[in-house]
Amino acid sequence: MLSISDVVIGILQAAVIMALSPLVTGIMRKTKARTQKRAGAGVLQPYYDIAKLLRKDEVVSDQSSWIFRVSPWINFVAIGTAAFFIPVFLAYSPFGLAGDLLLVIGLFALARFFTMLAGLDVSSSFGGLGSSREMMLSSLLEPAAFLAVFVVAVTYGGTNISTITEAASGSALLPHPQLIFAAIAMFVVMLGETGRLPFDNPATHLELTMVHEAMALEYSGKSLALVEWSQSIKQLILFALIVDMFVPWAIPQYPGPMAVGLGLSAFVVKVAVLAAGVAFLESSVAKWRLFRLPDLVSVAIASSMIGLVFYYL
Amino acid sequence: MEQIQAGLMEISGAVLLIATFGVIARRGFTDWLDAYRLQSVVLAGVAAITAYVTGIWEIYIAAILTLGIKSIAIPKVLAHVTGRLGMEYKTETNPYLSLRASIMVSALLVALAYFLVQQLPFRTDTVAGIYLPVSLAQFFLGLLALVNRRTALSQVVGLLVIENGLFLFTLSLTHGVSLIIEMGIFADILVGIVISSILLFRMSRTFDSLDVGNLENLRDD
Repeated sequence: MLSISDVVIGILQAAVIMALSPLVTGIMRKTKARTQKRAGAGVLQPYYDIAKLLRKDEVVSDQSSWIFRVSPWINFVAIGTAAFFIPVFLAYSPFGLAGDLLLVIGLFALARFFTMLAGLDVSSSFGGLGSSREMMLSSLLEPAAFLAVFVVAVTYGGTNISTITEAASGSALLPHPQLIFAAIAMFVVMLGETGRLPFDNPATHLELTMVHEAMALEYSGKSLALVEWSQSIKQLILFALIVDMFVPWAIPQYPGPMAVGLGLSAFVVKVAVLAAGVAFLESSVAKWRLFRLPDLVSVAIASSMIGLVFYYL
Repeated sequence: MEQIQAGLMEISGAVLLIATFGVIARRGFTDWLDAYRLQSVVLAGVAAITAYVTGIWEIYIAAILTLGIKSIAIPKVLAHVTGRLGMEYKTETNPYLSLRASIMVSALLVALAYFLVQQLPFRTDTVAGIYLPVSLAQFFLGLLALVNRRTALSQVVGLLVIENGLFLFTLSLTHGVSLIIEMGIFADILVGIVISSILLFRMSRTFDSLDVGNLENLRDD
């Protein structure tokens, strides 16, 4: 049975993820701008963007159906629900009893499904292109994600994120070499799921190669704000998962004012370092041709397979 | 202490495997050279760890030789000799097995290496138990690169990977053969690389391609 304090902790952790997610996007954009010798917008710019978009009116195509209108909300609710299962400043999430890592991946799939439907719904050619590419990518990325998650799950004995994080924060990395392989796979999956550079260029609206932006092209106003915000939340959830599973250092096991402060600052520092690293990587690689992307995903799958071999043999 | 050593050895074996994958998962010759250089550096580290664990000082010299010859001299020589070759000779555009398929096959090969070593009777020695499957996997991956690719240049890289695997194999089984033999092997591989790169250059001049498939055709003149 959940006590009141557990419920408060769970809600606080989800609120931290939702509140900090635009900041992470801002940090990544700023790092990217600085590595390209541009000044770049401030790290708070995504907040201003969302606030501005929320005050704007929407334009909706008269060709579109209810799916187009309802899809940003389903997106936001699905990804927001996933945020409740992620440990942030404590090594467990009180709502972890209701769902594990597989549910998080499933919720992402639900959100993606409706984004793809909305891309098709407006019957613009861009949306259709984006949807078909996203379908191809997601059918490749999901098995890779599951395999990477399974490596971690067999190592720590369960797919529940709280179990994994508690076990991970209690053990050193040294006895688990298979986690290196899982981390490589998870990193590639994270790049694909958040639409980062070898897969998709998040900085452009005007390219024929875009994937996620193509599906969200028709949105404006409040819907666009929701779409962008939920994309940021998804990104932060994936970062938090990587941090929780592979570098669970200094995550406190029990609540307390000191512990929460320490856990929160450790989380922020680790996520910021990861975000800056991804931004550096983005500045140094070019977008890959769409049909070369399966090569990258197959690296992730092979890496998880070797991780499983390391565990069992 | 024992546990930390075993952990260190397992991690270094894993890193060596990852470095070996760089040769499989990339397409250009300069990428392979980078991957081979990285692999040799890790291999030298692995040799140093083995020397530390077993306490045999000769392995330190083998590690230093690995670092000097395999990670500096051989890549330098190869880069220098192939510098005059055109770009079209250096990328593997048309391997027998596509890149993604060969990555999956190599994951299976790693599993096969671990399975084979499990069937072997000597599992008491920790050094052999940890590094032997890695060396076998390296051998298999080199073999895959050798048979899968068409151009002679990439076959040289496959040969080098196989040689690294054999070095690790002897290191883990016998804890270092005598230093004279080791040095002889190093000199051998260096000369072998020089000769094969001269051959490569002649091939590219005579046939206008490095595809070894062309060598099988009969010439009628």
